[in-house]
Amino acid sequence: MLHVESLRKSFDGFLAVDNADLTVEQGEIVAVIGPNGAGKTTLFKLITGHLRPESGRILFQGNDISGLPPYEVCRKGVSLSFQVVNIFARMSVFDNVQVAVLSHQNKTKKLFSPAGKHGIDETREILRNVGLNDKARRVSGSLSHGDQKVLEIAIALGNRPQLLILDEPTAGMSPEETQVTIDLIHRLTSDLGLTILFCEHDMELVFSIAHRIMVMQHGRSIIEADPETVRNNEDVQTAYLGGR
Amino acid sequence: MEWGQSITFSALGVHLLVGLSRAMILFIVCSGLSFVLGVLRVPNVAHGSLYMIGAFAAFTLNQLFGGGAVGFWMALALSPFVVAAVSLVAERALFCRLYQREHLMLLLFTFALMLILGDLVKIVWGADYRSITVPELLEGSFAVLGSSFPKYNLFLLLMGPVVAVGLWLFTNKTKIGKIARAAAVDREMVDAIGINVSWVFAFAFVLGCFLAGLGGALVAPTISITLGMDHDIVIEAFLIVTIGGLGNMWGALIGSLIFGVTQSLGVLFWPQFAIVFPYMAVVIVLIWRPTGMLKSVW
Amino acid sequence: MVQSGSFNWKRIWPYAAVFIALLLLPLAVSRFYVYITSVIFVTALVAMSLNMVVGHGGMYQFHHAAFYGVGAYTFALILTRTGWPVWIGFVAAPVAAALTGLVIGWFCVRLNKLYFGMLQISLGSLIWAIIFRWYSLTGGDDGIHGIPMPSAIGTISRSYYFILLILGACVVVMYMIYRSPFGKTLQAIRDNPERCEAVGIHVKRHQLLGIVVATFFAGIAGSLFVVVEGSVFPDLLFWVLSLEIFIMCLLGGWFTFAGPIIGAAIMVSLRTFVGTYTEYWTLILGVILILLIFFLPEGVMGFIISRLRTDKAVEE
Repeated sequence: MLHVESLRKSFDGFLAVDNADLTVEQGEIVAVIGPNGAGKTTLFKLITGHLRPESGRILFQGNDISGLPPYEVCRKGVSLSFQVVNIFARMSVFDNVQVAVLSHQNKTKKLFSPAGKHGIDETREILRNVGLNDKARRVSGSLSHGDQKVLEIAIALGNRPQLLILDEPTAGMSPEETQVTIDLIHRLTSDLGLTILFCEHDMELVFSIAHRIMVMQHGRSIIEADPETVRNNEDVQTAYLGGR
Repeated sequence: MEWGQSITFSALGVHLLVGLSRAMILFIVCSGLSFVLGVLRVPNVAHGSLYMIGAFAAFTLNQLFGGGAVGFWMALALSPFVVAAVSLVAERALFCRLYQREHLMLLLFTFALMLILGDLVKIVWGADYRSITVPELLEGSFAVLGSSFPKYNLFLLLMGPVVAVGLWLFTNKTKIGKIARAAAVDREMVDAIGINVSWVFAFAFVLGCFLAGLGGALVAPTISITLGMDHDIVIEAFLIVTIGGLGNMWGALIGSLIFGVTQSLGVLFWPQFAIVFPYMAVVIVLIWRPTGMLKSVW
Repeated sequence: MVQSGSFNWKRIWPYAAVFIALLLLPLAVSRFYVYITSVIFVTALVAMSLNMVVGHGGMYQFHHAAFYGVGAYTFALILTRTGWPVWIGFVAAPVAAALTGLVIGWFCVRLNKLYFGMLQISLGSLIWAIIFRWYSLTGGDDGIHGIPMPSAIGTISRSYYFILLILGACVVVMYMIYRSPFGKTLQAIRDNPERCEAVGIHVKRHQLLGIVVATFFAGIAGSLFVVVEGSVFPDLLFWVLSLEIFIMCLLGGWFTFAGPIIGAAIMVSLRTFVGTYTEYWTLILGVILILLIFFLPEGVMGFIISRLRTDKAVEE
């Protein structure tokens, strides 16, 4: 479904992503791990069009999406949930998700019809799926951090993506919240058939749910394989897991 | 449209020179605006009002000292300080309490200040036109390239670089100038090393307004001093500062040159629509380089 | 709060009451006050149209008056230079304004924030300069005066009702747009354009659409200005007016829907009533603005709404 080839990106001489490769098949849950500064978020932003690669290709369902602007990448079926919470803080939880739903339904240019009539069911369904429907009316800026991270995912779901990219979905969450999010991720793959690509620092989480793991260091892909192989790989152990 | 008139080389030359001298006044005014913009990050819409006060103050000071050469030079020397005093009052009484607020609030404040100062000028000086006569030394004109070029404009051509160099020396060589420049780039850092940022801002604001007053005093003998001067100069000043690069003094110079020269050329080629030329030039520059030609401080 | 589009009579009745009071106004007060109220209506309309871009869209629309002026001049020129019926003027004014909005907007939308505003000021000033100097077409500095109105809207009270009707219709339409998917999208773009891109919204295209819609209404306001005043002059496109309209939105509270109406009412009333006592009404206005900056930063409407919210919260 997603095929990243030899991707390169530098910022003012600093090589953030250096020949990164990644493959994600349909229905999989793939994790990207690596120390801070390894280039994971940059990689995600390259895939979703927020950054333009210098060289390399990004193929999504056979189409070359490298260099496309974010709104076009989104329309192709790839949705990103941001690492740093990036919601519409002044709007209600419901409205946050509804914006994404309206965009997906191509209704954002409708001028003469109340927004209250469009995308309501789909928005409610998404909120139910992520467990935020009892907080639908609250101003999203007032939610707890954990709930805001979940809202991040909910907004990304509004576009009915085929590939959902989650950038550190459980960062800053309590153990209970983390478990809820893990269950959510499982439901998304099993019930909704989504393909999920994510990155995390919580190794337990990663090894428990990922089908495959790609390890990054200094902007390059060191290895891409199933969890056992990765765990036993020497380079990975020295570079990252550090013999823990 | 007078295409029929042959545009002689000398006419072109003189118009260019006039444009350049007009640009010098614009530069002096805009350098003040740019400085305030750079250090305080405030778009001071009242800048034009201070320019206008400079012109009116020059008129009064001129009369006070009996006119003639003494009147002129005393007015030129003192009116920027009058304007500086007015701006200091405004800054300490009100402005300094607003530095934490968002830009739009500061813009709104300077707009309110513009309204107030505009009416204060009306109260003090009334609505009549005023004028100042040029002193004998600077009266009359030269023959340049076969056409006549006013001596006063030559004086302006000299004043421009003097102010430019003076300002540059001040901001790069004096301690307080360097602190102001540092505060423009990183006010928190300046605060962190123990300097009272509030006074730095006050100083920067007063200096900027001083320059506006100087511009007003310099332009006074060449125009009729009227209400409405503030509105007219401010829009030009903001556009110049934008095409030059916000907060950049050399940018203000380049912008002023473009504006002054295109306006003069406009007068030469299509007098009816002369003022369209500089606006057109601004539009072209902004479409080509939206953030200004030189690096901005923002 | 009811989310769907059904009518909630409890919330409607205050507006209905105000509307009825306005309908009855000419019967109760002198012609001068009717005239002033008409001026308030026109000003309110242009302020609301600006707020669509600034308050709801988050764009730095620094020279909105240019579109208002284009609408007014289009209407005036059609009425005085051509023999076409008046209704063509009423259609052409907003169309001309919206076209100007499309062109200027297309250039501005490519830039961010402040530079959007500065480019707009320069383009708008360019139009002002052309109108200011094109004496043969526009009357230049003098403007055009004594523009004849058809008798149906020729008197003060008839034009009042006409303007009230158009204003009412425009407010209703603007409210519909405010609550429409487009309106929500525009507000989302205001709050977080990056997130909007990430959810598939072509931000610049929507912003441009917002500008075109807003300038359309500004053009309507321009034509109504001519109905009230019977003249046009270049000051309608001068930057000072743009800043004044901007301030009406700030005064009234720019995140609200009806705030600009309050802002416009305050400015016009101040100018008129203070103006009868002293010629230094701008000084008073400046002082009031400063007081508002220090004591009511969210604007009058914003202040009222936040008081209502906190009162409600205390009740609950």
